[in-house]
Amino acid sequence: MKILVSWLREFVAADAGPRELADALTNCGFEVSDIAPAPGASAGGGADAVLDLEITTNRPDCLSVRGVAREVSAIYGLPLLEGARPGGGGRPEDGDGGDAVELPITIEDPDLCPRYAAAVDDVAIGPSPGWLRARLEAAGMRPINNVVDATNYVMLELGQPLHAFDLARLAGPALRIRRAAPGETIETLDGQERKLDTEMLVIADAERPQALAGVMGGAASEVSESTRTVVLESACFEPVSVRRTSKRTALSTDASFRFERGTDIETPVEALLRLRRLLAEIAGGRPRGPIADRYPAPRPTTAIELRHYRVGRVLGIDVGREFIPETLRRLGFGVEGGEDGAPWTVTAPTHRVDVRREIDLIEELARHYGYERLPSTFPVLDRPAAQPGAWLRRNRLLARLLVAGGCSEAFTYTFIERAAAEPFAADPSDIVPLANPLSEKFDVLRPSLLPGLLDAAVHNRRHGRQDVRLFEIGKRFSRGGGETPALGVVVTGAGGPRHWSAPVREADLFDVTGIVERACAGAGVTASCDSAGPAPGAPFAPGRAAVVRGRSRDGREAEIGRAGQLDPALATRRGFPAAGGALLAAELDLDALDGLAADRRALHAAPLPRHPSMVRDLAVVVDAALSARAVRDTIQAAAPRTLVAVREFDRYAGKNIPAGRVSLALHLTFRAPDRTLTDAEVTRTVDTIVERLAAEHGAVLRQDGSGNDG
Amino acid sequence: MDVPPEVSQLRTAFRAELARASDPREVQDLRDRYLGRKRGRVVALLKTLAGAPPERRRALGQAANALKQEIEAALAERRAAAAESRLPAGAVDATLPGRAPAPGHRHPLSLIREEIETIFSTIGFEIVHGPEAEDDYHNFEALNMPAAHPARDMQDTLYLDGAVPPPGGEGRPATLLRTHTSGMQIRYMETHEPPIRIIAPGLVYRRDTPDLTHSPMFQQVEGLLVGEAVTMGDLKGTLEHFLRALFDDDTQVAFRPSFFPYTEPSTEVFITCVFCHAGGCAVCKRTGWIEILGAGMVHPAVFEAVGYDAERYTGWAFGIGIDRVALLKYRVDDIRRFYANDLHLLEQFPS
Repeated sequence: MKILVSWLREFVAADAGPRELADALTNCGFEVSDIAPAPGASAGGGADAVLDLEITTNRPDCLSVRGVAREVSAIYGLPLLEGARPGGGGRPEDGDGGDAVELPITIEDPDLCPRYAAAVDDVAIGPSPGWLRARLEAAGMRPINNVVDATNYVMLELGQPLHAFDLARLAGPALRIRRAAPGETIETLDGQERKLDTEMLVIADAERPQALAGVMGGAASEVSESTRTVVLESACFEPVSVRRTSKRTALSTDASFRFERGTDIETPVEALLRLRRLLAEIAGGRPRGPIADRYPAPRPTTAIELRHYRVGRVLGIDVGREFIPETLRRLGFGVEGGEDGAPWTVTAPTHRVDVRREIDLIEELARHYGYERLPSTFPVLDRPAAQPGAWLRRNRLLARLLVAGGCSEAFTYTFIERAAAEPFAADPSDIVPLANPLSEKFDVLRPSLLPGLLDAAVHNRRHGRQDVRLFEIGKRFSRGGGETPALGVVVTGAGGPRHWSAPVREADLFDVTGIVERACAGAGVTASCDSAGPAPGAPFAPGRAAVVRGRSRDGREAEIGRAGQLDPALATRRGFPAAGGALLAAELDLDALDGLAADRRALHAAPLPRHPSMVRDLAVVVDAALSARAVRDTIQAAAPRTLVAVREFDRYAGKNIPAGRVSLALHLTFRAPDRTLTDAEVTRTVDTIVERLAAEHGAVLRQDGSGNDG
Repeated sequence: MDVPPEVSQLRTAFRAELARASDPREVQDLRDRYLGRKRGRVVALLKTLAGAPPERRRALGQAANALKQEIEAALAERRAAAAESRLPAGAVDATLPGRAPAPGHRHPLSLIREEIETIFSTIGFEIVHGPEAEDDYHNFEALNMPAAHPARDMQDTLYLDGAVPPPGGEGRPATLLRTHTSGMQIRYMETHEPPIRIIAPGLVYRRDTPDLTHSPMFQQVEGLLVGEAVTMGDLKGTLEHFLRALFDDDTQVAFRPSFFPYTEPSTEVFITCVFCHAGGCAVCKRTGWIEILGAGMVHPAVFEAVGYDAERYTGWAFGIGIDRVALLKYRVDDIRRFYANDLHLLEQFPS
């Protein structure tokens, strides 16, 4: 709301300059975002300026010069001035524009239009005088003609939206304020043909809607050069209805902006009188009869009880027993009672549509007392702080482990484009679209964190970064499952830190599965990856995908995620260079991980080994398609409990190994808790293992020296 | 006694060559050229003594022998120096880069969030979280913003096309992306009794076109304190403590009246500009102050929505944008950078 300071001074004789006024208003809740010099010469001379005020939605009464003046008068303890104003010199009551025009008004829906006032005036259309045009322009409005400008001028001055119809273009003077009939349309002043629905309130003549109530007039009855007689409307419309119509038609006007916040139900007639006086001065306005005013159910004022102690309980300070009634009266409130410490009975002025209960009055007192004068205290702590929740510990732990593993933390957008999302959704119909996305680039909720991380890897490659390791902890969404927490990881480029001493190893699947295993171990979950079968349409390249399974300390198992090399064709479609190397990714379902996570308070250290362990190396030649896990499982099943660890240390195919087979070499660690194992018993155990591997997998012990025990 | 010219010429020549000889092999060559039995120039000079006139023989002999000793000493010294600087077998060049572990980096927004979490944990606040896909009731209605409330325009909402199940499957289906973390006030109060001290960090969404200072997705921290004697003074004191801990001890804090439907009285909180320290610059639009958060006393209508006795309890709430704090503290010029995940930016933050 742009307020010309000289206009403001017609309502309140504040000596303060524009800067001081701006500060005072800002400290009272009306932030002045800009002080601009007044355009042209100002009437009163001196330092004039335009203050750009941010009026919060609860204070529509300050969407006018008079409204802001009321606040200024309360701040400085000055009276609100009535009396001479520019354009107030006309004396319409003396004039006679000819035969009185009868103006039958019917309010069919008083819930949506509690008051409707109107008047008929003859006018001579022409340009507005310079001073009026200058004031409209200072307020950011474009002058049109004297009649339209006068309605806008009075709206800016008093906050009451007004409208003028060309009487000659109405089907008679009778106006009906009614809901639109099904299928009705109206061409609004902006030239748009608009379909109406039965929830929309219209001002109709005998034949059709002539205005969208509280939003915009109709083109059919627009004031033009040829207009001789106008019907002037000054009404009060129900905020919710105006807002709904404004939203439905995507039409926001100065009128709808005020009505949907709430206008003063007592102002319509005053505004019409002011408008008539202005028209008499600047547009040859001559009344054609008295003002017609329909106000079927005068709005009662509500009495609000205000307790002195309650003010102190909320604000933390006693503002003083005199301060309370004095401040409220300055703001136009009625204050009764309050004798001997009794509560006051306060009635809000009708323009204060925001004041309904005691807390609203306390806010008025706080504003005018000054927030800077409230004490700074510290709340009494009466119970210990709660411990961080499991979700927070988990997120912090994962972040720590992933950062240690070389991954940097990313935040990618929750909404992505459908084409990016689909390869990552098990079922495209499970993707949740947005109803009103910003653009097609942001039109669905992500079904996975991986499409965003993939795009982030592409971004970094484009910006000269070959090695990219990113993780994200965030939510993903599906139609059936709703919102679930996940961890996403993406790795590309070198498999470790680059160093002059060694050739670069390109990252592969085991970089990302290793990160996942380490992260899960931090949560007390043993993760293992199984090669996943070919899944058509999945985001991973065939033969390069894995299912991640987790096992809790107490032996419960669940699938917790997936990992793999992203399908190169998919990566290329998202902008990853065709020869850019492998792009590895993993995603964990954190709800599933939580289900397996160890209770951090139930962690106990195992006794340290008291007897030495024995390590035997074993190399077996097996079918290349046989998984390492199958070999490991067989070894573990065949061995007694003295086998405490199995770890692969080589996998070799090529010279000396038959085609289609591989040599798998493993360290086997044996130890007993209560004695030192003998060489003979370990050898017997290894023999048993070898026999079992031969029986179950056709494994052959490799005899060329590599991996022999010893 | 004058040094014979043959000797002084030889000395000058030797000194010049010695200056150029650096490695051990060159030192050895030098010795061969002057003191070698076959070709050594000093040795050759000594050999001429026999044919020299007797009156010069003695002087020449003494001078030549003195030069010989001088050369021996100089070469010995040079050999010793060379031996001292020689690398032992297997020596490494420590000026090459070391093999550093390469940890990743935390996101700047996480650093700010954890800093805020730490400040509030220390003064007894619990850290809670809630769904990003929300229902209308928790995001608006229970926060004193019924349908068609004009304050809803302050936060342009992204709606889901259809509903999704709520977390845990119980309650209202989610129909929108939360526009603020304030819905967590409702969710927490619905399931807990006062006294309450929580902060709720998380992502929020608005239908804002991205630009330097706007992102359709950003992060907030909500704070809520409810008890039997909580005042606006407590709000001021706590936020002053918080903002000084977050920025610096000299930060000044100003409270100005504002409006939020779910708090009354409401306030916008300003700090002295982190760039110019109230001197006036482009960032603070020459005012010396920067708006940093919104806050206020919990509106009684909010307490009534969750079934609290609004007479018995008072409380305050605040909401702060993490991205805005990160822009100011880290002097990043564009909020969109926080979501581009460019390693050039991320690597500037600690591991």
